[in-house]
Amino acid sequence: MPRPSFVHHLHPAKIPRKQARFTYTFGTGGLAVFLSIILGISGILEMFYYIPSPDRAALSVQTITYLVPLGGFIRNLHFWSGQLLLIITGLHFLRVIFTGAYTSPRRLNYLIGAGLFILALLLDFSGYVLRWDVDIQWALITGTNLLKTIPVIGDSLFKFVVGEALPGSITLIRFYAWHTYGLVAFAAIFLIWHIFRVRRDGGIASSKSPANRKPDRISRFDLVDREILAMLYGGAILIVVAALLPSPIGPPLTGISPNLGQEQAPWFFIWIQELLRFGDPFLFGVLIPLILLGLLTAIPYIFPKLDPREIGSWFPTSGRFAQGVVVVIIMIILIFTIRAL
Amino acid sequence: MGKRLTASIIFLLGMIVMFWLEGRRPDPVELLPSISGEPEYCLTCHQDLPEISPSHPVDIFGCVVCHGGEGLALDPDLAHSTMRGEKNPSDLLVVEASCGGSTCHSGSPTEDRDHIQRVTTSIQSTYAGAIASVRYSFGAQNDLIAHMGINAVQDNNSATDISFLTAFNPTQETQSSLLSFAENCLYCHISAEPLPGEDYARLTGCAACHSPLSPDGETTHTLTTAISYTQCNTCHNRGNYSLRDMQYHPREDQYSGRLHEYYQPIAQFVRCEYTLDCIDCHTRSEVMGDGDIHNNQDEIQYVQCRTCHGTKTELPRSYTIQNENDPAFRFALLNPVIDLSVGDTILITEHDEPLWNTRMLADGTYELFGKATRQRFVFQPVAGTNCGQNPDEQESHYCHQCHAVER
Repeated sequence: MPRPSFVHHLHPAKIPRKQARFTYTFGTGGLAVFLSIILGISGILEMFYYIPSPDRAALSVQTITYLVPLGGFIRNLHFWSGQLLLIITGLHFLRVIFTGAYTSPRRLNYLIGAGLFILALLLDFSGYVLRWDVDIQWALITGTNLLKTIPVIGDSLFKFVVGEALPGSITLIRFYAWHTYGLVAFAAIFLIWHIFRVRRDGGIASSKSPANRKPDRISRFDLVDREILAMLYGGAILIVVAALLPSPIGPPLTGISPNLGQEQAPWFFIWIQELLRFGDPFLFGVLIPLILLGLLTAIPYIFPKLDPREIGSWFPTSGRFAQGVVVVIIMIILIFTIRAL
Repeated sequence: MGKRLTASIIFLLGMIVMFWLEGRRPDPVELLPSISGEPEYCLTCHQDLPEISPSHPVDIFGCVVCHGGEGLALDPDLAHSTMRGEKNPSDLLVVEASCGGSTCHSGSPTEDRDHIQRVTTSIQSTYAGAIASVRYSFGAQNDLIAHMGINAVQDNNSATDISFLTAFNPTQETQSSLLSFAENCLYCHISAEPLPGEDYARLTGCAACHSPLSPDGETTHTLTTAISYTQCNTCHNRGNYSLRDMQYHPREDQYSGRLHEYYQPIAQFVRCEYTLDCIDCHTRSEVMGDGDIHNNQDEIQYVQCRTCHGTKTELPRSYTIQNENDPAFRFALLNPVIDLSVGDTILITEHDEPLWNTRMLADGTYELFGKATRQRFVFQPVAGTNCGQNPDEQESHYCHQCHAVER
């Protein structure tokens, strides 16, 4: 047995084999961490060229995309990792719900995970805004104006996010600071906390083995080997995707136009764009999305009970209500997304 | 180990695909035009384009200052997405942004150099005479004064009685004839797309005259002041508008050769009217406007035979170039068909526009160099000949009575 390296020491010495089965977790948690690392590295590389000022931002994105050696590839890598992160964390969330992993003692970690998902959404949206091209105008103006509709704190919240009457140079520098530092700092802390809690809560959720039987386990060496395999396959797919599919780019935004033109939210908020068609912006653009998000976040507290024997198996019958609520909410989001397309 | 080797090979293949695709991208070709100081990379794809004119060297102007577009983008869709006027930045809708500015072609305090104001208020743009005439003919207005143009224009320093024109709006006209006029007869002002067909093929805006198309009708990357009669003929002499049916009727004769191409069969003309090009006689202010709004073409077109030939009692107006700041040098520099010198005597119109492509010779005759053909013509004044024409009757039809050539 070789001496464990630093990376090996980040892992538990042994974990039950059934927890490490790919068809149980689909590696979504690990892939999310992998994508976060790719995002961090590619983001740092982009920061060498990105200029957070309204008159230079989109031009610097063009410079990165077309003129910096491998710049277009790195930007595509950053973009697609960001999009995939939302999908992978979404699947991670579904796995947790559909295997009953959200119940005690993992309720706190569920909340941390929800926080991470919200941070990923905010990071994606702020990164989208950093393009500062004409295609982000609608979402930037609509999104920030929605803040104003919130009673009591709306105006203060708008000022906190936008910093001026109309989005401009102060707004861009704030989004830049949040995207590259503020949100990243929170996300890093939450991510480490999340991984720590996985170990503290007894590893990946699974039903207890009968007392008279020792669970079949794999070593940290096997676990790291599997992670390396997943990273190699995931990396290969990501590289080909980034090499073939350019990330969106548009002409510079040269001034906020009163005519916002065609509705154009990023795909992960397109369902809110569709909801806004129904009328009151606070109700449909803020309150309903927040209620749905709140419901999802509160699942372990609304449905705390689950048969311990079913934890770790797919679609536990004692968790039907929680699964039903999640399916309904996901369907609502999907239906409104498809309607808008 | 076998699994890791397979995964590593797949990862490596991904990297190879990425580097192969990266290698297929063109190497950016940088241009750093001194006028903007901002790098642009349009030449990565457009190296084959010739320089547009000696007055607009690409290393000084670059591409973006005139055309707009995204100079850093190497993706054609993004690079071209913000171009002004698509391939024609001189279209009048965008000309101010493309060609304007007090150091370029607008905003000059001297009216005759405020070219965009001149052109947009000129009859070629406003079509004001035709609109007024047709509206008057069908009772939509009580006089022949120009009230409307193709676009609304304003001139705060007008030397005429007209300081503005409102935009002609066919939907507000009640006469069906005026609707027909709007539908069938508005192809010739320079902001309109021309009729289909190679006889009419031209661009819009400044390029309508200054960027001739190639013989096969393709746009060319050219700006020139050496404008051939063929360019003028994309609007003029191609046919007639009929007030009776409010239709355009193309000329029906079969023609070839300069003489026949130039004028329609019914026209009378003297030899110089087809051997020369239109711009050899008609001046910048006649063609591009003088900065004021006029009622019709007759008000702005003033050059007559006597401008060059004088009358039996008077020599044509002329002056002797006194120094190198004379405007004639500037015009001759743009289209160097003549080697003018200080001390040369050249003709000048009654509106004080120098005919800079002419020169008085020692024997009292004059030479003229074709601005488009560069051909040299020698001609003499009327004074001293046995011409019996009354000095007060100098319109061309009087001269045609004796000097018209047969087709």
